[in-house]
Amino acid sequence: MERMIEVTGLVKKFGDFTAVDNISFSVAKGEIFGLLGENGAGKTTTLRMLATMLQPTAGHAVLKGYDTQKEPEKVRAQIGILFGGETGLYDRLTVTENIAYFGELNGMSKADIRERIQQLARAFGMEDFINKRASKLSKGMKQKAAFARSIVHDPDIMLFDEPTSGLDVTAARDVHEFILRCKSEGKTIVFSSHSMSEVEKLCDRIGIIHKGKLVECGTVDELKEKYGNDNLEELFVRLVGAE
Amino acid sequence: MKLNIKHVMIVLRKEIKDLIRDRRTIISSIVLPMILIPVVNIVMGGGIQKFEKQINENVTVALSQSSNTAEARELVRDRILSKNPNLVLVDTDDPVKALENDDVRCIIELESSYAENLKEGKPIRITLQYDESKTRSQAAADIVARAVEKFSTEVIEERITSLGLDPSILRPVYVERVNIAPNEKGNNMMLEMMLPFMIAMLVAIGGIPAATDLVAGEKERNTFEPLLTTMPDRGSLLLGKYFAVTLFSFVSLIAILAGLFIGYMLNPNSLTMGVDAGLEGITLDPLAVALALLITIALGMTFSGIQIALSTIAKSYKEAQTYMSFLILATMMPGYATMFMQAADMSPVMFALPVMNTVAAFKMILGGRIDYFNLVLALVTSVVFVALTLAFAASLFKKEKVMFRN
Repeated sequence: MERMIEVTGLVKKFGDFTAVDNISFSVAKGEIFGLLGENGAGKTTTLRMLATMLQPTAGHAVLKGYDTQKEPEKVRAQIGILFGGETGLYDRLTVTENIAYFGELNGMSKADIRERIQQLARAFGMEDFINKRASKLSKGMKQKAAFARSIVHDPDIMLFDEPTSGLDVTAARDVHEFILRCKSEGKTIVFSSHSMSEVEKLCDRIGIIHKGKLVECGTVDELKEKYGNDNLEELFVRLVGAE
Repeated sequence: MKLNIKHVMIVLRKEIKDLIRDRRTIISSIVLPMILIPVVNIVMGGGIQKFEKQINENVTVALSQSSNTAEARELVRDRILSKNPNLVLVDTDDPVKALENDDVRCIIELESSYAENLKEGKPIRITLQYDESKTRSQAAADIVARAVEKFSTEVIEERITSLGLDPSILRPVYVERVNIAPNEKGNNMMLEMMLPFMIAMLVAIGGIPAATDLVAGEKERNTFEPLLTTMPDRGSLLLGKYFAVTLFSFVSLIAILAGLFIGYMLNPNSLTMGVDAGLEGITLDPLAVALALLITIALGMTFSGIQIALSTIAKSYKEAQTYMSFLILATMMPGYATMFMQAADMSPVMFALPVMNTVAAFKMILGGRIDYFNLVLALVTSVVFVALTLAFAASLFKKEKVMFRN
């Protein structure tokens, strides 16, 4: 199977503090890979390195054949990213303008953007508020707009950084559906979370990250079998506690 | 950093659209200056003129009770106060009370032997009573003192003439002043003081609301990280924001100049608050004006670089506002230091420093004495400052510790 993401010996140090410590993993095309870890484990730092926002101290990350350090612009053209918490929309711009801005920045033509926005508006049921300013939208509407914005350029790789953090059950469910929708479109997904249930529900494979180290990697079933425990939470505590 | 003009323009267009829709920025940067400046100038100008009029016109004076005789009144009215038509002798029974009540502004007391002394050629002591705590009374005492001096000179001349001599023997030397300022040049001191200072300050600080919003504001609203994950290089993102801030610093300046122009159209005296010749006699040298405009643009760009850098360092909107308030103070210092100087008094070093160089350039233009060496020096050093501050902002945009401080 084609490997879309290849991470090898990735290290990130902030002064004396090692946030990510020599982690390696790969993600195949169309796969959802979950990075499971506690707060401060190094999940966001890893995703920021994949998104070229941070430079690794050592190691490499190659996305769709492009090295994050050698060809960062080409890497960014391949990825869509969704952060947890606030949707990060520009309040004074309309939904259309928010989406179009990211489309333009990602190299799309105006005609393609127009067509894509119509398509996304239908897909996410945004027709009624597509021309409203983001500040006038409900949380749910904003979330849909943020989803649409993250995939306006139809990226092959999606990065989700704790996308359900701070969301209520319905909103979190919408995020899950969006992730599954991306998978169904053949996108490769890296998804960070500290929630066992959503990782178990969504991910094909998971990597458990603790204090910057990838302590285990495999499918949920493989891990359960390896450690002889059907409960992912207990398994996680055992692995993290053992560190 | 790799720059892509297309990306720069996309960011610039978006930032302009975003800022135009920000009511706070529009009201504080455009609407308020256009309304407030003419109103304040007209009201203040009117106030100053009215106050000057009040000080100089209808200066009421009374004689003290002990001096209030018909002869003394005649002497004071006909020989002293007549030197200034604005001086008015008021008859009152209680001059001290009248002074307290502002019915008179100054009391004149002649010594009792004044008539004999005058006849015998002896000095006369005249005492002026006034209230130091009241500006109008203080000014009245000065006006009366000048009138008394004139009377004194007149008496000296009479006495010298009566001795058969020419009074000019008492003035062996006299001074004649010749103004060599450019032809028809009026007194534009107020304009030379205020306008260059305003232009430099406004350009230097006009971009602050935009700079605060475009980086620190984006960080706080969580829109910055998604932006950094888009295709463009950080250099292009930075430049797009930088040009938007520069543009807004000039929008504020244009709004305020428009405000001044509106005020001028409504009342020409408003431009200088009615205290000097205003635009009268000013002739503009086109090349010098072009150089001064380039220096001003460079000043705006220099400060946009500093403001973007400060906004990048800040973790939040509030923190950025704190840094910007320090920047305003730092900008005011060179502005105030040169405010009361004339262009000819400014050294080449001053032409090489931001803010001071813009103030100096405009003072030079308004003063009509152009020194192209200093103007070119100001322009060259300004370009260096633009490059330095932009490089500083760009270096911060590359620093992970700064970009992801929060």
